[in-house]
Amino acid sequence: MQTTPDPLWIHPETADEVAAALRRASEARQSIVIRGAGTKCDWGRPAARIDVVLDMRRMNRLLAHEHGDMTATIEAGATLREVNQALAVHGQTLPLDPPFADRATIGGLLATNDSGPLRHRYGTPRDLVIGIRLATTDGVLSKAGGRVVKNVAGYDLSKLVTGSFGSLAAIVSATFKLAPLPAASKTMQVIARDVGALADIIRTVMASQLEPVAFEVMTGTQRPQNPQSHDLLTRSAGTAEVAQAFRPAILLRFASLQAVVDAQIAQAIAGLNACATSIEVLDGDAERARWHEHATQLWGEPGAIVRASWLPANLAAGLGELDLINAGLKACATGVGGIELVGRAAVGAGLVRIDGDTDAQASAIERLRASRVFGNVVIVRGSPDLKARVDVWGSHGDRQPLFDELKRAFDPNGVLNAGRGPL
Amino acid sequence: MDRAFLSELRRIVGDTGVLEDALDLLTYECDALPHLRETPAAVALPSSAAEVQAVVRLCARAGMPFVARGHGTGLSGGALPVAGGLVIALARLNRVLDVDIPNQRMTVEPGVTNLEITRQVAPFGYYYAPDPSSQQVCSIGGNVAENSGGAHCLKYGFTVHHVLGVEAILPNGDLVHLGGSLVDTPGPDLLGLLVGSEGTLAVVTSVTVRILRRPETVQTLLAAFDTIDAGGGVVSDIIGAGIIPAAVEMMDSLAIRAAEAAVHPHFPDADTVLIVELDGPVAEVTALFDIVVDMCRRRGATTIDVAQTDEQRARIWRGRKAAFAAMGRVSPNYYVQDGVVPRTKLPEVLTRIRQLETRSGLRIGNVFHAGDGNLHPLICYDERIPGQSEAAVDVAAEILSYCIDAGGSLTGEHGIGADKSQYMPTMFSPDDLALMQRVRAVFDPHGVCNPGKVFPTPRLCGEVPGPYRRHPVEAAGLGDRF
Repeated sequence: MQTTPDPLWIHPETADEVAAALRRASEARQSIVIRGAGTKCDWGRPAARIDVVLDMRRMNRLLAHEHGDMTATIEAGATLREVNQALAVHGQTLPLDPPFADRATIGGLLATNDSGPLRHRYGTPRDLVIGIRLATTDGVLSKAGGRVVKNVAGYDLSKLVTGSFGSLAAIVSATFKLAPLPAASKTMQVIARDVGALADIIRTVMASQLEPVAFEVMTGTQRPQNPQSHDLLTRSAGTAEVAQAFRPAILLRFASLQAVVDAQIAQAIAGLNACATSIEVLDGDAERARWHEHATQLWGEPGAIVRASWLPANLAAGLGELDLINAGLKACATGVGGIELVGRAAVGAGLVRIDGDTDAQASAIERLRASRVFGNVVIVRGSPDLKARVDVWGSHGDRQPLFDELKRAFDPNGVLNAGRGPL
Repeated sequence: MDRAFLSELRRIVGDTGVLEDALDLLTYECDALPHLRETPAAVALPSSAAEVQAVVRLCARAGMPFVARGHGTGLSGGALPVAGGLVIALARLNRVLDVDIPNQRMTVEPGVTNLEITRQVAPFGYYYAPDPSSQQVCSIGGNVAENSGGAHCLKYGFTVHHVLGVEAILPNGDLVHLGGSLVDTPGPDLLGLLVGSEGTLAVVTSVTVRILRRPETVQTLLAAFDTIDAGGGVVSDIIGAGIIPAAVEMMDSLAIRAAEAAVHPHFPDADTVLIVELDGPVAEVTALFDIVVDMCRRRGATTIDVAQTDEQRARIWRGRKAAFAAMGRVSPNYYVQDGVVPRTKLPEVLTRIRQLETRSGLRIGNVFHAGDGNLHPLICYDERIPGQSEAAVDVAAEILSYCIDAGGSLTGEHGIGADKSQYMPTMFSPDDLALMQRVRAVFDPHGVCNPGKVFPTPRLCGEVPGPYRRHPVEAAGLGDRF
């Protein structure tokens, strides 16, 4: 986070203190950023001047867990991990598994609407939030939604702050609907022969009546130290050979009663045998380790990371485009790059990691934005140089006037979030 | 409405696209909440998104209040016209624009019915999940406005969880795209805000929805109990065991009798019936269904009927979904509310409703989505008996106050509309409402888009609080309610 030499850190413990801090900053025209665990504070545009950091970590209480109603009300600074430990006492969970899941806070998850593989079944924070308490820059506390899972009274302002990146108001607390913890879980790792086989696997699973909780696709990346690795994504010839170059993989997770999980796995194996090179079934520690690796691997590698979306049935064409972009990276980069996609196969959303120098990354992102398959390309992790070259958010199209008016209505003095957010 | 406005309107939608005869306007005086009526100055029937945009632009220029209307099945007066204003009826925007089976998406115009979406994709083994009881006739545009639910939203969520994008006309006439075929539009979730905003933020001209693969199997049971508490106990057992059924519905004896009289679903003559439906993979449904049957037995179910065929399942649902209309068989008039309570508070609130029934002398049938605590008290009255209409409205208000006391909501799926706007201050503080109004002003700074809905209106001097009663000033044509 770029700051002025010495920003003031505030650690509110109550909702009133949050509201008062926002009002003071707004009245004094001081730039103020809201911070949880800081796992995503380098996302968005490079920060302009920061005068005040509103550190929400002391607002970390689980205010209510109504297990009979399967809802929980949680302060913004509580971490997902702590919350889920508490909810597990009654066999329930807030079913989110975003990156940095061990540290990320509830407020940060909502503000960025971040999620992980479980999105396939449970959606993103916006799909689970049922009520919200906000502090606005006029120092007022307001709520919307409620504590019941079904409720259409008034505007759902929880939706307005999901994805706002702290640019409109501070999230004080939120109420979520919960899910029961499954009794058993198993994961299949399926290696596809090539891109065509991958497309077949995705189509087969989507058209089937299988009900996985997670359905991930990953292309793997170039690993110079291990050239025999099955998940190479390194080539530069024409698209005709793309199919031969990719060895992408699928992770398919089932969670339910043990017998149900076993039946679903057997059904999936029968359906996918024809298009898979290998199928491995994981459970217990091996399964946990595989998902941990899946969550951390992309972030542990160098390069820029962007969010991107696609139509699930178009992924094969998308990988063809990625391959061409990758070839371009190598042509222009001094440090040889690579490109890697990890995402939700049936949702059509995920992350693309782009290696190489700033020129190569900038050109790759521009090509992704021009692609006919990928859309909503937003830089999350990138060097200041890259973010200076390519706009983090891309065009908001015909939504821009509404974004501008919302920003004026909620933050008339323009003090929130130091210009990092989408509005 | 001045002649210049009308002739411009005719130029946009053609002579056959404008209604202004008193008889024609009658149809548009109310939605499915017939006790609130208002006569618009005219109705526009555009045939395309471009025509909708031109009509809205015309209204914006003229400062003309307008109300977008789907098929008029709403139960909260959300499509109640503004006196002297324009109704924009979207029935002619009824085309299916795109069916994309491989990507499990479909794009339709707002006048397409909810059930038509499922009909289009059923041959491929898909369906559209939200299923309000009016699904045969209600429009998807209205579903978007109201964030409609249905019996199966316990497991599958509401309209907001199934709409991927809309094209909409803002009150100033600008076209916007919120969401789209691709997920994760950057920035605040304006689509999620728009869904459920009851037509107060924009007029939707196309809707892209997610369609779902039919589950591998469905199992439905109907269990009868001697008390509501026993049925409610089963619901607690189910949720406590971590089972999320596709639907959990309850009906009390009055609702059962009404449904039986209307559509003959062969429901047992019981104090309470509980409908539980499980869907999903065969292995899962088979295992969990046995557990649920056992729970019903242990709570003393007097009968347990398991639907053995699709026809039997359809008959159970026919009885449930006909319950509202069926009230007409046992009462000259009825008034339905849809307050919500935390599920665990259901027994306590139902007890209070039964006490109120005794005290008020009005019969109250109860049909409810027991899994999510969404009540549908059907208050029976006879408008020919002086005072009964008012008493019914008072009873409804009291039931809503029980819901708020229990930490619930004024409405689970019908919307606030014109019907419940005066109760909003019981659920939201002035600060809460002010922030919502601030959002509204961003979209509709001049207050022309479905004014008078959702938010309590400042009252005319001398007006009594409570449900809408025509103010003498309005009756005399001397003032309007905006």
